[in-house]
Amino acid sequence: MLLQSMINGLFFGAIYAVMGIGFSLVWGVMKIINVAHGSFIMIGAYITYELFQRFGVDPFLSLPVTMTFMFFLGFVIQKYLLNRIVRGSIFITLTFTFGLQILLANVCLLIWKADFRSIRVPYARLGVEIGPVVMPSVRLGIFIAAMVLTFLFYLFLRKTKTGVAINATALNFEGAKTVGVDVMQIYAITYGVGAALAAAAGSLLIPVMSVNPFLGAQLVQRVFIVSVLGGLGSPLGALLGGLLLGLVETTSTVFISSSYQELVGFAVFLLVLIFRPQGLTGKRFF
Amino acid sequence: MKRRILLLAIVLIVFMMLPFFLSGFWIRLLTHTLMFCALASSLNIMAGFTGYAPFGNMLFFGVGSYSSALLMNYLGLPFFLTLPLAGLTAVLFSIFFGTMFLRLRGQYFALATTGAAEAMRHVVSNLDFAGGGQGMTVPYLQGSPAFINIYFYFVMLGMVIVVTSFVWWMSKSRLGYAFKAIRADEEAAGVMGIDTTRYKIIAWSFSALFTGMVGAVYAYWFSYIDPPTVFDIMWTVRMFVINLIGGIGTVFGPIIGAFLIETLSELVWSKFLYLHMGVLGVLIILVVMFMPDGIIRLVQKRKDALMPILQKMNILNDQREKR
Repeated sequence: MLLQSMINGLFFGAIYAVMGIGFSLVWGVMKIINVAHGSFIMIGAYITYELFQRFGVDPFLSLPVTMTFMFFLGFVIQKYLLNRIVRGSIFITLTFTFGLQILLANVCLLIWKADFRSIRVPYARLGVEIGPVVMPSVRLGIFIAAMVLTFLFYLFLRKTKTGVAINATALNFEGAKTVGVDVMQIYAITYGVGAALAAAAGSLLIPVMSVNPFLGAQLVQRVFIVSVLGGLGSPLGALLGGLLLGLVETTSTVFISSSYQELVGFAVFLLVLIFRPQGLTGKRFF
Repeated sequence: MKRRILLLAIVLIVFMMLPFFLSGFWIRLLTHTLMFCALASSLNIMAGFTGYAPFGNMLFFGVGSYSSALLMNYLGLPFFLTLPLAGLTAVLFSIFFGTMFLRLRGQYFALATTGAAEAMRHVVSNLDFAGGGQGMTVPYLQGSPAFINIYFYFVMLGMVIVVTSFVWWMSKSRLGYAFKAIRADEEAAGVMGIDTTRYKIIAWSFSALFTGMVGAVYAYWFSYIDPPTVFDIMWTVRMFVINLIGGIGTVFGPIIGAFLIETLSELVWSKFLYLHMGVLGVLIILVVMFMPDGIIRLVQKRKDALMPILQKMNILNDQREKR
């Protein structure tokens, strides 16, 4: 029982991690608390849903589509709207992203209504036995996809020129500008990458969870917890934070009532914020 | 100055007379707007004057409404006695969380407060004596619908007057100057001998006091409360948008903002029910992009441009007054 719920916890944790990394990136580089991240996740989930229902595209194969679409949407939003106010106070950008969140949630509501939607892949019943526990193959696939995405993102940030420019801009805005980085372009790319990761999380979520337009706002709360646990702007931290939150949430239900599940998450969040605001890994930048 | 007081007195008299000429629908709409005036002004004490964004201020709204409801249900206290007690409970919460959170700066503080409010929502949802997730009913006011409308109108108007007078007094007092010093430069304020943590807690407790009291009025007015409604983050978001539109950190900005937003919101809501949230979202984005300083400061800027003309008019007026 405990082992099974721990495996489940790690699985949800991997999705939390993908959600948290994009959010953490945007926060770490631009100091934007991107509340709209939740609706980006929902849009990713809905595109996967449509592709599956209309054309029978497998959710894993739809990942590149949703990620590309959300990258461009995020890029445009940052380039033409957010870049104008990004150097202002945190409070202004936070209010902006909140406006964006309720606008996008309303758009989703108009298109897909308030119904719960989910997709059921043909191989949903297949399971993989790992020792004494059974792991459904979809969940295993999602776990692996999440890990691969995290690894690819890490490589992107470390090995590519754009990734290094993002790091530089996060560390020192003026300095990056001086050495010839087009910081505003980098900001737009950063926001696009964050949105693409959110969309990926949405695509991975919909085969195992019913979604509706209001779920976005709830997911943002988890994302907050994940990125605070890991330390803002640290992808490795977000990975650890996501896995930890998944573990804590699911294993706590073994010991106490499941109605306290979310409370446990918030309690951990508050404790970390008070005693270790730099996060568990202790790195503030990339 | 004299003219300003005269203007205020006229506005106040108009508001006192209004409910006797309006239909129930308009009185309720005005009461609703007045509630947001009071809420936004309470938020302004913290966000506008010290520059700290308490995104979880709905915590106090919820705590205030629940403590008032519990006191009425279990101890049978009359509403007007529970009103200050609800405010005090909210203050205790703000001191408790304030001592923990106010060492955190900026965004961390904003996040911690939302975390606290969400945690509180889950706690209340699990309290059986408070109705749990089902919520609880509150003894309601006896009387004809017309009487009830006017009663709550005047209670809310009273709240607005109390909060606004406090903010006005505060903005001119040593307390207000300390808050503004923290907003301008916290380190410098500390060096000048301001105990910044203490002053931030004071600012937040006043914010909590008034928010909690408005929460108590809300509970009595709607006579039913449940955790998802009273701990909804939309309360705080509306307070912020109202402040940004009207002019954050000014005395009358939140009031102008509340009247604008709530009237507009009501219009949109009645005309395009399904687009309501989307329109609000667009509105928030536009406000933030184009006038983050608020209407009051926009008017003041225009005034600077028109100063020579205005001065002439003032001189004329002054001469007339002398005669």
